[in-house]
Amino acid sequence: MEPIDIRTQRVKIENIGALPTLPGTFKKISQVIGKPDVTLSEISRFVAGDPALATKVLKMVNSAVYGFPGRISSVSHAIMLLGLNVVKGLLLGISVFEIMQQVMSGLWNHSLGCAVAARAIAAKKGIKDPEEISVAGLLHDLGKVILLLDFQPLYEEAMRRAAAERISIYEAEQGVFQESHAAVGMWLAEKWHFPPNLVEVIAYHHRPGQAKRAPMETAIVHFSDILARARGFGFAGDALVPAVHPAAFELLALTEADIREVLEKMESSLDESSGPIL
Amino acid sequence: MPKIGKDALEPGMKLAKPVIGQNEMVLMAEGTELTERLIQRLQDMDVEAVFVEGPSEQAVPLDEALAALEKRFKAVQDKQHMGLIKRVVRKHIEGLYQ
Repeated sequence: MEPIDIRTQRVKIENIGALPTLPGTFKKISQVIGKPDVTLSEISRFVAGDPALATKVLKMVNSAVYGFPGRISSVSHAIMLLGLNVVKGLLLGISVFEIMQQVMSGLWNHSLGCAVAARAIAAKKGIKDPEEISVAGLLHDLGKVILLLDFQPLYEEAMRRAAAERISIYEAEQGVFQESHAAVGMWLAEKWHFPPNLVEVIAYHHRPGQAKRAPMETAIVHFSDILARARGFGFAGDALVPAVHPAAFELLALTEADIREVLEKMESSLDESSGPIL
Repeated sequence: MPKIGKDALEPGMKLAKPVIGQNEMVLMAEGTELTERLIQRLQDMDVEAVFVEGPSEQAVPLDEALAALEKRFKAVQDKQHMGLIKRVVRKHIEGLYQ
């Protein structure tokens, strides 16, 4: 299959909400969260108006990914507590879940593992809004979902190349698309007015040295991604552990005991969510 | 800690997490030892599964899990900090089987 230059498709990707084959939830959610001036109460009404979605939101906020296990019983309470940015990310997470189940189910477990690890590290580092880091972990591979959705045969070609040549999916993507999922995820995150720190984490989780606004957050997700792969949770497109960026690892300054604890958290929360979290 | 479906519970198992009901009430506390009567109550309630103490059952045998770990790290284990990360993950995986 002929490689393409994905950069020429940026506008198409930014308007993914218009794709006819898009699953229903994703379509509705992308229309709501893509509005530049969307308010919390608008989102609250939207979620409350869809009982299936409301149930998913409550399950998600009460899971270990967000750290309020079993304490939030109403959608409006959840939305108040989490704030606009986290709720937007959460809704997007729920809608990409649906797509991941269809096109690459292992990516969901990988993303969950990464989200839980990122939250645990953020708590250790005393980061102010650990929920935002959870969202960043959950959505760091957003670009893969978009590429799979819009260019599935080419993405499968990238996965085949990664396996045959024993290279990472990140490298294989660049051979097939000229750019990686990190750039594609960034385009959409920017277009959808995600907070700048989240955009940066998505853009640079493979190159944390480039992060200017949020070096700590980016380093956290970079390392969480590696830990989830090292533990072998889920499937992110290849079966390899990428090398950690030394400066990012040093910035985190985690001890062996810290890393063990993060792994424990990841383990027990995935025990919990291997059942249908959504 | 394994999660056990309510139909597979046996007397003598100990709850590793509390059982929480509809109104966020704790129905059974962490550490409760299950009896026939308590299991009956759980089965009558709207609870699908509970966490009990003990090692989780792993999907693959330990040697397979460790071989897969070696394979995943093969290309990067000599890179900076990767030896340490691999060692910690290996200890963690071994711990799951004890």
